[in-house]
Amino acid sequence: MKTDTALAQGLVRCHSCGCLGKRNKQPAKCPLCASPLHGRLPHSVQKTLAYLLSAYALYIPANIFPIMTVTKLGSAEPHTIIGGIIALINSDMLPIALLVLVASILVPLLKLIGISLLLLYVQRGWTGDAYRWTVMYRIISFVGRWSMLDIFMISILVALVDMGSISEVLAGPAATAFAAVVVLTMLAAKSFDPRLIWDNQNQP
Amino acid sequence: MPAAHFSACPDCDLLLNRALPQIGSTAHCPRCACLLHRPRTDSVQRTLALSIAGLLLLFPANFLPLVGITVLGQEKDGTLWTGVMTLFNEHQWPVAILVFLSSILLPFTNIVLSLLVSGHLHHNRRHRYLAHWLYWLQHLEEWAMLEVYCLGIIVACVKLSAMADLQLGLGLYAFVGLLFTNALLTSNLDGHLFWQSIAQLNGQHYEN
Repeated sequence: MKTDTALAQGLVRCHSCGCLGKRNKQPAKCPLCASPLHGRLPHSVQKTLAYLLSAYALYIPANIFPIMTVTKLGSAEPHTIIGGIIALINSDMLPIALLVLVASILVPLLKLIGISLLLLYVQRGWTGDAYRWTVMYRIISFVGRWSMLDIFMISILVALVDMGSISEVLAGPAATAFAAVVVLTMLAAKSFDPRLIWDNQNQP
Repeated sequence: MPAAHFSACPDCDLLLNRALPQIGSTAHCPRCACLLHRPRTDSVQRTLALSIAGLLLLFPANFLPLVGITVLGQEKDGTLWTGVMTLFNEHQWPVAILVFLSSILLPFTNIVLSLLVSGHLHHNRRHRYLAHWLYWLQHLEEWAMLEVYCLGIIVACVKLSAMADLQLGLGLYAFVGLLFTNALLTSNLDGHLFWQSIAQLNGQHYEN
């Protein structure tokens, strides 16, 4: 390993407050903020993989089952995520349809694929352009929260459109699955340690 | 090697000479371009002012109606709470809890924590839990999703505009104000300065 990283010099950066301390054999606590000190996030790859697999599993019900049921004048109509987007396109609301498409279909899918690739990169010891992979990691961590858009929209719709059989919106089973996918992918991104990308690079 | 003059990049662990940029300029990691430090003018005072403003806006944003609709002569108002309550009554409690956390509880917690930390630092007061507050503030920040909720309101309004008359409520203005206050709060809070001040108050030496 090259000697330009803090870890290689026997120094450890606190994950919370950023202060730099000597690396000890025993698990130590940061003197300032009392969070545990590690050279790298402990079990980063395993945790990320666990969150990722759960997210993959829930991604299927999130897209198959209806995310909400819209009742208009007595007739109930279940909508899946894709169904909701098609309904928006049919009613000539293309910009909003694109927004929902990006936030609820593309972002979760690309996040799942992106985190899988990051794990492969680290596990397989790839040594491609580490800078690009770090940028990808940053994009993944940044966009994750925006997928909550659909969940918030449903929470507003169920509150407003609540008039029994005349017009009513009910949340469907996919809402829970989809919310879980968003939270799990956010946790996966959070538990992934980007410094592992650069450690690969430093191996001879 | 003494650690005092060094810092490490949080994203790639590159060992760096400690950078102390001027206010208005930024320090980036030379290897992975990670933003290392962005000092702000009067960070503590601005954080304090913004968290007080946020606290004032929290109540109208939470309890006044955000949007109201009229369908077939029936009126209905929606606040942040009614969404959570309706989901809960429909037995969608995992979703209800998530919406409650990310749109009500965590924005509130973040503002209170910012107020506590910046208030103590402004008055140079020590507190046993000062470091804990800042720690939790930094960790909970990304789970407060006001701006995403705002986008949710826009999409819901567009969907509803076809079938009902919409009225924008007073709560919505407070909510948008809260959203901007929160964004300014995040960008004005200088983590380095805050940790350094806490270390000084505790009589500790802060490296980096």
